[in-house]
Amino acid sequence: MAPLSIIAGEIRQRWRPLLIWGVLFAALHQVAMFLALVLRFRDWPNYVTFYDWPGNVLHIIRSTPSVRDMIGIIREEWLIEIGRMNYDYGTGISEWSLNIMPSRLLVLCLLGAMVGLAFSLLRRNACAAPTRAGLKATTGLGAFMVALTNVTMSWVVCCATPTWVVGLAMLGLGTSTSLALERSGPLLSVMGFGLLTALILYLAWRKSRPAQQSKGVPAHA
Amino acid sequence: MKTFLKTTLTSTALVPLAFAAWAEEITIAIGHQSMCTDTYTAGIVVKELGLLEKYLPTDGEYADAEWNITWSDYSSGGPITNQMLANKLNIGVMGDYPLIVNGAKFQETDSLRSIYVAGTGYNLKGSGNAIVVPVESDIYSIDQLRGKSVSTPVGSAAWGMLLKAMQDNDMPAGEYVLKNQSPAVGAANIAAGKIDAHSDFCPWSEIMEFRGTGRKIYDGSEAGVPYLHGVVVREDFAEEYPEVVEAFLKAVIEAGDWIREDPMRAVTEMETWTGVEKEVLYLYFSEGGHLTLDPTIKTEWVDALKFDHGVLVREKAIPPLDFEAWITEDYIKAAYADMGLDYEADKAATIDPKEANAGLPAEIWHARDGVSTYETMPEFLAAVATMRGTGAKLNATYVYDSETGLKLFGKTAFWVKADEDYATFLRKGEAEDYAATHAGEVITFDAAIADFTSEG
Repeated sequence: MAPLSIIAGEIRQRWRPLLIWGVLFAALHQVAMFLALVLRFRDWPNYVTFYDWPGNVLHIIRSTPSVRDMIGIIREEWLIEIGRMNYDYGTGISEWSLNIMPSRLLVLCLLGAMVGLAFSLLRRNACAAPTRAGLKATTGLGAFMVALTNVTMSWVVCCATPTWVVGLAMLGLGTSTSLALERSGPLLSVMGFGLLTALILYLAWRKSRPAQQSKGVPAHA
Repeated sequence: MKTFLKTTLTSTALVPLAFAAWAEEITIAIGHQSMCTDTYTAGIVVKELGLLEKYLPTDGEYADAEWNITWSDYSSGGPITNQMLANKLNIGVMGDYPLIVNGAKFQETDSLRSIYVAGTGYNLKGSGNAIVVPVESDIYSIDQLRGKSVSTPVGSAAWGMLLKAMQDNDMPAGEYVLKNQSPAVGAANIAAGKIDAHSDFCPWSEIMEFRGTGRKIYDGSEAGVPYLHGVVVREDFAEEYPEVVEAFLKAVIEAGDWIREDPMRAVTEMETWTGVEKEVLYLYFSEGGHLTLDPTIKTEWVDALKFDHGVLVREKAIPPLDFEAWITEDYIKAAYADMGLDYEADKAATIDPKEANAGLPAEIWHARDGVSTYETMPEFLAAVATMRGTGAKLNATYVYDSETGLKLFGKTAFWVKADEDYATFLRKGEAEDYAATHAGEVITFDAAIADFTSEG
């Protein structure tokens, strides 16, 4: 129980900085996606749409009998869509867009806070430089897995639905490979969170260890 | 007494207002695609002509109903399904592959279902999808795509056709590079010669041909799988307002009649609504056009959808789909019955372009005088030569592929001159074969016209 109480204590003491970590992480994620789209397509967005997210969520709650379905559908609701419309053909087609989804912002906020907590615990841990580097890399890997699977860019080639594999496709991964990976998104996200959780528990356990070892040893012998 | 009287009078006056306040507002939200020709009879035509309003019920429980009809335009079927799941759309119209994803996604949920209630149009052999190359390309057949880059909107009907076409031609995925490109990007890349080939759905291939940037090397009809579009409705909406679904399908039937009644008027109107050139739309909606407007649900369509589902399961691992539960003919049958039409007769009839278009005349669309028809190729070519000689503006010319019966732009067809007659083909290979067996030669459209241009 000692690691858990150390984590709880850390959160109690440092909840403000952790919240800032979370909010900043979520905001930077959106900025990174936006820049990725602009750089990849070499065009600025030419439209922005704001959605009535609270109203839409209420509508979904009222019209979806199953709570499980409700959560799945709300998860895909958009708050803001910013993208580029191509008017060369017909009445216009949205080529690409960044879709800001509150559900993903929440996930990214939690992820940012966890990364902040991991770094905070790491700072208070006395360990050798290679171990520290390994732990930092593990934090980075966990964060990367979650951040990657929470990409909300859409590209009309993928039938215009925002999916995390659009990020992979934009990076140049083959279409078939990207699509084959699409359904493994939730698993990768869970693995990323699992990795971060395990790391935080490990760091808290390490922090609790010297205190346990010193039990019964006179402080000033 | 005075107070009593006042109260009574006020109450009486308020009764109608109270009833008005109780009048139910029924929202009908429809998702359609103005850049997909095969959806027009359940989309843009119904919207612009106000046909749904015409058939909405006005009696019984609907006597006091207030209708709130909204139309949302999408560039593909995927977002329509997402909006239907969120109950922001009640009705969606889309092509075969997105339809299947729609049904499967709904059936994946615990509590929501969609139902496939009607078709909008079809091409029995699969025309509408096509593979296009840049007009100057030296690629003339699918075999020549080995080692080349081919783009397509993955997940669309054109993507499904491309996979089947490659399989039919013994070209495994490793022998060509598949790229994921939207219709607009693909069309732009074809125009700029940045991609070797692009596979797309209707009417993109024809837009590229009409604008002179692309040339078809493979038509969906070669895959032999029917290409169809249809209407899906949220099941809870259909159960609550069955009369509204029937009204929508009556509007779909009337939209088809309106187009058939005067294709020229229809395509001219549709061009203003959608931005798609009327000459391209004429290729679809005129007599002998690619699209057969027919809302019935045929057994062949169900088989085609099952085939498409198999492709999607293999390539995109989509969830299973119970076709029995998903497809229902009840609403379209009721709409037919109410309109005094014979559903079974329409269901039994299928149009094969090869048979139906045999002997149809070639056409010239004169910018000022409209469309004129010609029974023989020499007559047609002579007329084109004469009109060109006067400097008249010709919007388009139309001929038929001798092999498949498909309607083609005269300028994009491969022409064969044998003896004193002419035949037209979609593909160069078949034109060459015909020329070889008929002691003829493959010539260009301009060369054929030149035969009828008098000197001086």
